[in-house]
Amino acid sequence: MIKRHGIFLSACVCVFLCVVAPTMAADEAHGASEGPNLFTGDLGNIFWSLLTFVAVIGVLGKFAWRPILTALQKREQFIHDSLAQAKSDREAAEAKLKEYEHRLQEARTEASAIVDEGRRDADVVRQRIHADAKSESDAMVARAKREIALARDTAVKELYTLTANLATSVAGKIIQKELDASEHERLVSEAVAAMGDLQSSGR
Amino acid sequence: MTHILAASNPLDHVYQWIYLKSGEGMFGFTIVSNHTIMQIIAALLLILLMPRFVRLRSTGDTVGDLTPRGFGNFVESICSYLRTEVAKPILGEYTDRFIPFVWSAFFYVLAVNLLGLLPLEPVTRGLTRSVFPDAHHGIGGSATGNIWVTSTLAVVTMGMIVVNGLRIGGMHFIAHFCPGPLWLAPLLVPVEVIGLVAKIFALAVRLFANMVAGHVLLAVLASFIAVMYHAYGWLGGTGVGIVVVVVSVAFNLLELFVAFLQAFIFTFLTALFIGQAIVFHHDGHEEGAH
Repeated sequence: MIKRHGIFLSACVCVFLCVVAPTMAADEAHGASEGPNLFTGDLGNIFWSLLTFVAVIGVLGKFAWRPILTALQKREQFIHDSLAQAKSDREAAEAKLKEYEHRLQEARTEASAIVDEGRRDADVVRQRIHADAKSESDAMVARAKREIALARDTAVKELYTLTANLATSVAGKIIQKELDASEHERLVSEAVAAMGDLQSSGR
Repeated sequence: MTHILAASNPLDHVYQWIYLKSGEGMFGFTIVSNHTIMQIIAALLLILLMPRFVRLRSTGDTVGDLTPRGFGNFVESICSYLRTEVAKPILGEYTDRFIPFVWSAFFYVLAVNLLGLLPLEPVTRGLTRSVFPDAHHGIGGSATGNIWVTSTLAVVTMGMIVVNGLRIGGMHFIAHFCPGPLWLAPLLVPVEVIGLVAKIFALAVRLFANMVAGHVLLAVLASFIAVMYHAYGWLGGTGVGIVVVVVSVAFNLLELFVAFLQAFIFTFLTALFIGQAIVFHHDGHEEGAH
């Protein structure tokens, strides 16, 4: 850019020297001796340059650059702190999430264990109740059978006795003969024994 | 108008016009000239406006307090750029110590450059003559197009280099002037000293030449109108005038860019030279000095 600038400048200066300079020759003839040139300057320029430059450095250094530098540094620190804070917050959140997930997993395992245990317990209880009921009903059936057998035996015995008495009295009437008490007793016993044999052979 | 254009030297725009001077020649003392007035205006503008621009509002919350507003955004973005992109890589830990000087150099040169672009001279000619009847030229022009001004700025930079080189760089800075075996010192030390002076000289001449070049270029372009008018009459003057105005607008925009660019280059080289004097990396070049 600067190089091209310089080339263009050189071209313009050449044109100027060829075309414009002759027209100015008359003007230059008047006061060329005392006019300024490109390097006009003196100690005053050094003084003013130093004064203005140092004043700018001094005043701006205090009232502009210090605030701006402080603001830049503060902002840098703020951004740095914010990023660090965000990073640590994220790490903490991730750790917490991991912990919660772990806890949730534990709770789930525990819950299923509890359900399993409950199911097992219920099974045991069910089986016990079933067994108890079965044994009780068996016992009831057995007792009923025993009672039935007893009642039957009693009824049979009473039937024998009644049958014998009837038979004896019928027989006595038939033979028209009064049997004495001892003879009556003997006949009944014989009849019962015979009936008992009849029953056992008939069973 | 055409007479003035034809008669004036294109370099008139870049000369220093002294209105009041005590003594003669280069050892005299210029009390008032167009350039000194421009420098004072630039310094006053900076001193009065800059603290207002950079003032941050206090809103009470941390984020609002750290947010610039208005023109402060512009100033701060430049400052921030110069600090992080230019100064920090060069000056490292010393950045915040020297950054006020770097910023001052940038904005001072920039303000003087930009004021030089304002066409103040025709406007202020009458006013100047009313105060200084002998004045040939009004206030205006680029003070950075004055080699005395740029040299002074460059010498201040050299002062910063030498003083801080000795204070912070210490023996490293002194040893830097003899980067070879000791018996070569009589040869190397003058070369290194000349090198330092050349850097400073280049700094001054670069700014001076660039500012002069742009202004001369614009003046030469404008003078073509008068030349063509004299040679071919109104038609020639108008025809060339249209071209010259278009090209002048483009070159004024280029000058605007150059004003920023040269301020940046001056600042960048200032930071670089200070950095070279105070920040030493232990490379082969340095070890050779011991």
